[in-house]
Amino acid sequence: MRFPSPQTDRGRQNLRIALLLTPAISLIILLFMGGLLMGFIRSLNYFPLIGLNEPNLEAYRLVFTDREFFASFLLTFHIAFTSTVIASILAVGAALLLRPTFRGKKIISFFFQMNLTFPHLVGAIGILFLFSQSGFLARILTNADVISRPSEFPALIYDRYAIGIILQYIWKEIPFIGVIVLAVLQSVGEDYEAVAQSLGANRWQRFRYVTLPLIMPGVLSASVIVFAFTFGAYEIPFLLGRSYPAALPVLAVRSYTDVDLAAKPQAMAMAMVIAVLATMMILAYMNLTRRYVRSS
Amino acid sequence: MSFLGKKGITLCLISLFVLVGAVGAQDGPANRQIEDSELAGMSWDEIVAAADGSEVNWFMWGGSDRINRFVLEFIGGILQDEYNVTLNQVHSGAADTVQLVLGEKEAGVDEGGAVDLIWINGENFRTLKQGGLAFCGYTDLLPAMANVNPDDQTILNDFGTPVDGCEVPWGRAQVVIVVNTDFVPEPPVDMDALLEYACENPGSLTYPALPDFTGSVFVRHVFYNEADKIYADEGGHRKLLGPFDEEVYAPVAEATWATLNELEPCLWRSGETYPAESTVHEQLYANTEVQFFITYGALGVGGNIDNGIFPPSTDSYVLESGTIGNVHFTAIPYNASNKAAAMILANTLLSFRGQLQAANPDVWGSMSVLDPSLLTDEERAAFDEVPRHPAHATPAELAAAALPELLATWLVRIEEDWRTNVLEQ
Amino acid sequence: MASIQSATQLREKLPFNWGSLLRWLGIAMLLLWLIAPMIPLFIWSIAYRWFFPNILPASYNMRAWEYAFSPAAGALESLYITTYIAVVVTLLSILVGVPAGRALGLHRFRGKRIIELLILSPTIIPSLAVILGIHVVFIRLGIANSVLGVILVHLIPGLPYMTLVMAGVFANYDPQFEEQARSLGAGPIATIWYVMIPTVMPGIIVGGLFTFLISWAQYITTLIIGGGRVQTLPLKLFNFVSSTDYPVTGALGIIFIAPGVLVLLLTSRYLTGRSAVGGIGNI
Repeated sequence: MRFPSPQTDRGRQNLRIALLLTPAISLIILLFMGGLLMGFIRSLNYFPLIGLNEPNLEAYRLVFTDREFFASFLLTFHIAFTSTVIASILAVGAALLLRPTFRGKKIISFFFQMNLTFPHLVGAIGILFLFSQSGFLARILTNADVISRPSEFPALIYDRYAIGIILQYIWKEIPFIGVIVLAVLQSVGEDYEAVAQSLGANRWQRFRYVTLPLIMPGVLSASVIVFAFTFGAYEIPFLLGRSYPAALPVLAVRSYTDVDLAAKPQAMAMAMVIAVLATMMILAYMNLTRRYVRSS
Repeated sequence: MSFLGKKGITLCLISLFVLVGAVGAQDGPANRQIEDSELAGMSWDEIVAAADGSEVNWFMWGGSDRINRFVLEFIGGILQDEYNVTLNQVHSGAADTVQLVLGEKEAGVDEGGAVDLIWINGENFRTLKQGGLAFCGYTDLLPAMANVNPDDQTILNDFGTPVDGCEVPWGRAQVVIVVNTDFVPEPPVDMDALLEYACENPGSLTYPALPDFTGSVFVRHVFYNEADKIYADEGGHRKLLGPFDEEVYAPVAEATWATLNELEPCLWRSGETYPAESTVHEQLYANTEVQFFITYGALGVGGNIDNGIFPPSTDSYVLESGTIGNVHFTAIPYNASNKAAAMILANTLLSFRGQLQAANPDVWGSMSVLDPSLLTDEERAAFDEVPRHPAHATPAELAAAALPELLATWLVRIEEDWRTNVLEQ
Repeated sequence: MASIQSATQLREKLPFNWGSLLRWLGIAMLLLWLIAPMIPLFIWSIAYRWFFPNILPASYNMRAWEYAFSPAAGALESLYITTYIAVVVTLLSILVGVPAGRALGLHRFRGKRIIELLILSPTIIPSLAVILGIHVVFIRLGIANSVLGVILVHLIPGLPYMTLVMAGVFANYDPQFEEQARSLGAGPIATIWYVMIPTVMPGIIVGGLFTFLISWAQYITTLIIGGGRVQTLPLKLFNFVSSTDYPVTGALGIIFIAPGVLVLLLTSRYLTGRSAVGGIGNI
């Protein structure tokens, strides 16, 4: 038996923690924070190559006075918010359906997880083939004599309310949130619910007062990831969205690849605005929901 | 955060700032001439020898399986067998590729760039040339240029930007109207009739949102049509063919936006949205959501019918008032790693063999840039024997209808103003 | 015990179990919804002349598949490069994420919340916002348009998942076993290899699966950093999504999803039950 002094022991412990974290932290700081910083610098119109040596806020002025920007922000928020809420609710439902043991559970769980592996891009193609005005569904309805022309099928793709985009995100994110909720459900077991049942709680009460609070932190974490992703994703709104207004990431990429060099700082400024908006919304959301989780 | 310390973070930040500051090395805006390169003073044979055993990276739009196949198999085969050059086809649009070269220039990569050859024209060529990103002065060396008319204005100027030996012509494109004759048995013959038909049959017509290339050319046809009325006594649309002139532009633009806004409720989805790209428009046509499609690929329509993508009832035609045509080119960036092989590739594409193969509608259906009068009788006969798809307009019809392009400066203005005056209204 | 048995018996005696019917209906609808978008994708890939309003194509051919596997499409090459990048990204993020997960799951220390937020930040701030700035640095460093550059940027969105999952696994990890191994004479490397790794393996597999899939599906980061030179499958597919050739789009789409399904076949059991995926629920 040796008796190390607490002082050196803590010192060694700290050194160990530092060593364990160094690779991850340096990667994040160098690449991620570095990228943000570079973007910020260039968003200030600082670009010596084309003679811009004086930083200024011109790019931000252009972003905020652009007519499309505000409409674009509302659209992007709508897409992210609606997709996240609907996907979260349906994912909890799906998780509850798939939770108990039943015949064929293995295969059905596999199909559920399979969706997780499909890239968003392929999902977008599938949604387009399925829901466009001449798509699979429209064809079925035409043959059933419900509609007679493509234009009679409701506009779900390239539409005003971004329904196609939201459908794609829901399709893709239900399994993502669902798998996490299932894992949480599995790790808390069924003891609490059994106790509640023995105390006379009905099905709804057991769900509302026992199960839901148990899975809520998991659902909220997953929904934060989904919200952030859908707010910043480019491909889906590009492929399934309307030409005007476009989602914020589409606007940013459009400016970035603009042949006019002067549009680059504007793209960087827009990237910064997206970063700040996403962070603010998510911090606010986390604060609100933390309070809710603690109170219940 | 004790393990990294404030000092560490500060160091990281400082090194990043230094990196930014270092983005300073700058070339003049002039394009690199062949005399300033490793190929200075070489003959064609010496260039061919220099390229022996090398690899060439060609950046080209890759959304057509037929063009990809033609390039990789036919052109790539010639390069491999006759020049011992390996063709590496990179699928990337011209705008993205010009961005890439621009990024390299910003970073000071003046040698050994990633791109050897770009499929390009119009605004992208203008950016390339204005940014000093082009390699120039080599086109006279290519043997295949002998069959190109040296005085042809459509080849000397690319959307009004003087070519100046900075790009090599590859093919011609001309706008045709593609129509589904099941729905439209008697297609409207000119622009006014087309617009009228669209409003009598709401939802049958649309056009891609500008700045899409094809959407832009559709709007230019409307623009020409208005100019023909406004400047009826002054040459019509020909009055627009000089440098940009605000006074000439304003009245035509106003009439054009009025016409297009009037048309909007008649369009697909009542004009609430426009297809993002020409290809989306093409999908709508293939799925019979709309009955008209507009394309630059006058001789590519048949291929789509044969591939089962377009309905068999598809036909294509030119408007009586004419349709706009242009030329597409290949260009070498100033910092290309393998300029010699890029020149061989450009030459092979332009060669009689390359042009004849591309002209075959079963292969691609490209329109040749070679001047028939400069070809041998045999070569001319070979071109005449190229089968014509029944859905295509004849070469004579196309030639008779060809209208010139506006300068790139007009295009930029029309595209910007369309967004504010039509899309955002 | 008796009462439970009788309840089961009672349920069996009921002529029709409405609860169970609803459940199965729910599961059927869920499955249909998950699979539905893939059905037209598959039909299109072999369709010849499939015009509105036909529910099925007029006839079928293999043109799209022949093209997809031909050298002109370059799909196989892309398949290779996409897999290569995803595997390297996964291995790197295991190397980086497992230690970080251990520190966060096993230890309490000052500033832990800040470190957590820092590591989580890539899931909150969209990659797009960061990638444009990184592009400038990478061009300068000469790693833009290269596979290396693409691998580095794919690490950014992948690392938080790996770390989160591992932190969750290490939270339930008992380091006592390591001490026992050490006291029995095992060196540090042997201890990690024979004690720690096998214990946390399910987490590594789940974290690795997520990282692999994230890298696999990246589009805009690859396009911007790779500059079109690094032709991963998403780029290839995007080229064809924005073309009219639905059959080729369908065939490439199926080629694009096949490897992910294959990886899942091997790892599915780690995602079910008391899975390490729960770690992602710990933000």
